Amino acid sequence: MKTAYYLPQPILTNETLEAIYASASWTASKIYRKTGIKSRHVASAELVSDMAVKASKSLFSEYGVSPSEIDFVLLCTQSPDYFLPSTACIVQERLGISTLAGALDYNLGCSGYIYGLAMAKGLLCAGVASNLLLITSETYTKHIHPLDRSTRTVFGDGASATLLTKSDAERIGEFVLCTDGKGAQSLIVPAGGMAMPRTDDTAEEHEDASGNIRSLDNIYMNGPEIYAFTLRTLPGLIEDILIKNHTTMEEIDYVILHQASKLVLTSLRDKLNIPDDKFCIDIEEIGNTVSSTIPIALKRAIERKNPKVQTGCKILIAGFGVGYSWGGTIIIL
Amino acid sequence: MTNEEKLDLIAETIDAERADITPSAVLAALDEWDSIGMISILSMLDRKFGVVLTPEQIEELTTVQDILDKMGD
Repeated sequence: MKTAYYLPQPILTNETLEAIYASASWTASKIYRKTGIKSRHVASAELVSDMAVKASKSLFSEYGVSPSEIDFVLLCTQSPDYFLPSTACIVQERLGISTLAGALDYNLGCSGYIYGLAMAKGLLCAGVASNLLLITSETYTKHIHPLDRSTRTVFGDGASATLLTKSDAERIGEFVLCTDGKGAQSLIVPAGGMAMPRTDDTAEEHEDASGNIRSLDNIYMNGPEIYAFTLRTLPGLIEDILIKNHTTMEEIDYVILHQASKLVLTSLRDKLNIPDDKFCIDIEEIGNTVSSTIPIALKRAIERKNPKVQTGCKILIAGFGVGYSWGGTIIIL
Repeated sequence: MTNEEKLDLIAETIDAERADITPSAVLAALDEWDSIGMISILSMLDRKFGVVLTPEQIEELTTVQDILDKMGD
């Protein structure tokens, strides 16, 4: 599977956050102990379209692909350039992809890459597309209030681009895809959509019980609720993925879950009894890049020549979070 | 595990000063009792005591004693 990624500048380190927060509870080392993250990339001057173009160009260059070969673009984002038109249309034009190509955005977060692969598999196997460009491009930092420590320490920006053909689709297994809208309020930007348009009132900043500051225009995350949801749901999801794909954890070479936070990952690894060398934790340098975490983690593992992600290896991938939306599958590299 | 050991564990889990972690200590008064601190306690209770709290149950935690009560024997 051909994948590339792009991480924007600047890099926001724990040392910078320590200086901003000036609190004994939020020193650089405490931030690292709480989150497992030392730095995260921030797209301060770039839009989702800019990052999508850069990730795609990196893909084209690395694999000797011409944009003219692409006949479908799927772009996952929750911070599009505009409400309309789709950012995918803008990216099609900037990449020089043919006008005889389909292109659309889809609005998912942590489960986005999984759902993108599912839709890609469908489009490719049905003959609707032959060379599909699956992009994840996310700038959650643009939704985050600078003084909201619960989110600013965790999320980073990043984009990925994956090229998929029918033969790639045949190496993607069966999917388990799930949704529970009861979790809608647990990870949300309350204002700015049609439900609550932005006003001076929505822009008003408030301090929560933990001293985090945000407005209704900013992202809100109920960490404990999402953590409890994840612990409740993931074991069953993994089991369902294995059953649906007629395989067992012993036959899986590597597990890449959505890189939500180090604590979530270590809790799940221990709960699922997965050995360390089979379980991906790669969050320290880039944080939680939402729909980009899985493809970026996969590519970085390949770049590091991890023996468990070589051609022919069986990889279990699963994403979970905002929505709530979750899902997973098995891919054979 | 003794009560003292449990208090040590709570302090270590949320990265708080051990002297601040007494049974009657009010959680909301601790700097470390934020969303990350709560998640750390949820994780500790699950891993060490097999106790999985619902979000409602965690909201009901008001004092350190309430956490101790969940920590079994």
